[in-house]
Amino acid sequence: MSTVRRVNTESLLVRCVLIVLALGFLFFFLGLPLLAVFAEAFKQGFGPYWHALMEPDALSALGLTLLIALLVLPLNLLFGLAAAWAIAKFEFRGKSLLTTLIDLPFAVSPVVAGLLFILIFGRQGWLGPWLQAHDIKIIFALPGMVIATMFITFPYIARELIPLMQSQGKDEEEAAVSLGASGLQMFWRVSLPNIKWGLLYGVILANARAMGEFGAVSVVSGHIRGETNTLPLHVEILYNEYNTVGAFAAASVLALLALVTLVAKTFVEWRMQKETEMLSAELPPERAPLAAVVQQAASQAGDGKLEAARRSPERIEK
Amino acid sequence: MSIAVKNISKRFGNFTALDNISLEIPTGELVALLGPSGCGKTTLLRIIAGMESADQGSVHFHGEEATHVHTRERQVGFVFQHYALFRHMSVFENVAFGLRVKPRATRPSESEIRERVMKLLKLVQLDWLAERYPSQLSGGQRQRIALARALAVEPKVLLLDEPFGALDTQVRKELRRWLRRLHDEMHIASVFVTHDQEEALEVADRVVVMNKGRIEQMGTPDQVYSAPASPFVYRFLGNVNVFHSRVHGQWADVDRAAHVEKDEALAFVRPHDIEIQRESSDGALSAGVLHVQAIGPLVRVEVEHQGEVFEVELTRERHNQLALVAGETVWLRPRNLRVFQGEQMVSSQTFDLGAGI
Repeated sequence: MSTVRRVNTESLLVRCVLIVLALGFLFFFLGLPLLAVFAEAFKQGFGPYWHALMEPDALSALGLTLLIALLVLPLNLLFGLAAAWAIAKFEFRGKSLLTTLIDLPFAVSPVVAGLLFILIFGRQGWLGPWLQAHDIKIIFALPGMVIATMFITFPYIARELIPLMQSQGKDEEEAAVSLGASGLQMFWRVSLPNIKWGLLYGVILANARAMGEFGAVSVVSGHIRGETNTLPLHVEILYNEYNTVGAFAAASVLALLALVTLVAKTFVEWRMQKETEMLSAELPPERAPLAAVVQQAASQAGDGKLEAARRSPERIEK
Repeated sequence: MSIAVKNISKRFGNFTALDNISLEIPTGELVALLGPSGCGKTTLLRIIAGMESADQGSVHFHGEEATHVHTRERQVGFVFQHYALFRHMSVFENVAFGLRVKPRATRPSESEIRERVMKLLKLVQLDWLAERYPSQLSGGQRQRIALARALAVEPKVLLLDEPFGALDTQVRKELRRWLRRLHDEMHIASVFVTHDQEEALEVADRVVVMNKGRIEQMGTPDQVYSAPASPFVYRFLGNVNVFHSRVHGQWADVDRAAHVEKDEALAFVRPHDIEIQRESSDGALSAGVLHVQAIGPLVRVEVEHQGEVFEVELTRERHNQLALVAGETVWLRPRNLRVFQGEQMVSSQTFDLGAGI
């Protein structure tokens, strides 16, 4: 007897080959390096690893990395939200230009971005003389690193929110206002709850990028040990000094951060999926007249869960 | 509270959404803005609500100028086409929203809010759904919650944008009747937008027929249906047969001397206003029967005259008397006919067919 194969199922052999290929690729390019980082970090045991991490320079690099993320994220949250709000809810001249500009940091090499800021704020830069005259230090100091990191991570939150807000439209906001809500009340009670998971998702991505950023920060930091060194820069310095354990110990912290981000991201994605399933469900077909609907009430409880969302918000894959 | 709209115009780029619209809606009246999509009816509704600003003209509430009053302060209840329920709030919180955002001084206490919300939910017969979320409701239920939410702030004007657009025929009929009752109890001015003529004629006290940003006709449902002011209204409200003066001279007879011959005259006759006779008589057109079809209480007869097909609706009784079969020749006489030349009505005639029928 011959078996009829469905069009969309491949033969066992093809499936096996594909799976092995995918898993092999994952192992060589993601799994192995991750293992290598921890293997190298712990090569001489836990003592030296711990010692390398507790070194004042390493601690200061970790502190600076966290500080930059802490400063950058709220600012980008604000800008991202404002940009997404403007693009999703209003029509104005230059809207498509703004949309394109938001993506600029994705297109520009981080090193070039760093150089841009040197050109603007550096000693020979446009604002250099003025800044010097007023004794403001931006390049080779914290402000420069924050600005560079902000530039690099700017698109993540806006890009996450724009499709989400566009799909939600502005009906709910208008409804809130017509019911007497002030702008702030509308934002806190209606807009923000509707986008909170998307916002969090964007923040997580931006955070991961902010902590791991190397190129742009490297250009504007000046690599002053204990002062303007972030973790990624610290890793590079130690590695160039043949301090393998130190370099990989610091790298393992970054890798751990990445893993935590991944878990957080997965969780938020899962929540978002659930939320969209629950919230943007299509209208269920309604056939029964009201009286019958009332009678069916008890048995209908929980029907909402069945209405699977047709669309989940677009994800930008990086 | 009465609403008055004076000389409102609105353009979106090159598109004229509203062209010098004036309209008055007294308290207690339920008015339908009826028209095809893109005729500006929703824009007008949004201007009344203050969600859109007019390029020209003014809006008055109860005689007071409200053109520049913010939506928030207009005290209008707005029901959106897709309901716009707050998706992350329970039904209860949705209805309570308008009360909760009131300034502290005028905000009712928690127990009072609870009481008022439950009362409203009872009014829309959905108090048993208070803890549900909008996504767990059917379309008709969402619609009624949206209404309860709008009513919670005790609006002086109720505005509804295509309130029954997304619903099933059955549910739609129930809700129409229900909205009518609700409006009568509230004694406020209500305006609803619709593209469904049946809905407008059935529910509204007054129908405003709009087309291309202009008001074509305003009047009671009976006026706009039986005495349409323009060919557009004729075509938009119900079925109509159009007879051309060139071909069907007798019917669309115009005093040609008085008019510059620009447009040909058209005579409009509703399908149920045409009588079919077996014998020829003065002013009757001969026609061949093409098709006879019984639809519910009516019998629809398709007839052909001079290469054009017309529709005639007969009662079952009359049809039984006539016993028409496809292929035979009959005579048509209008009971009621209006002749238009261009947009202008040139004559309106009612024929008493008397015992001849």
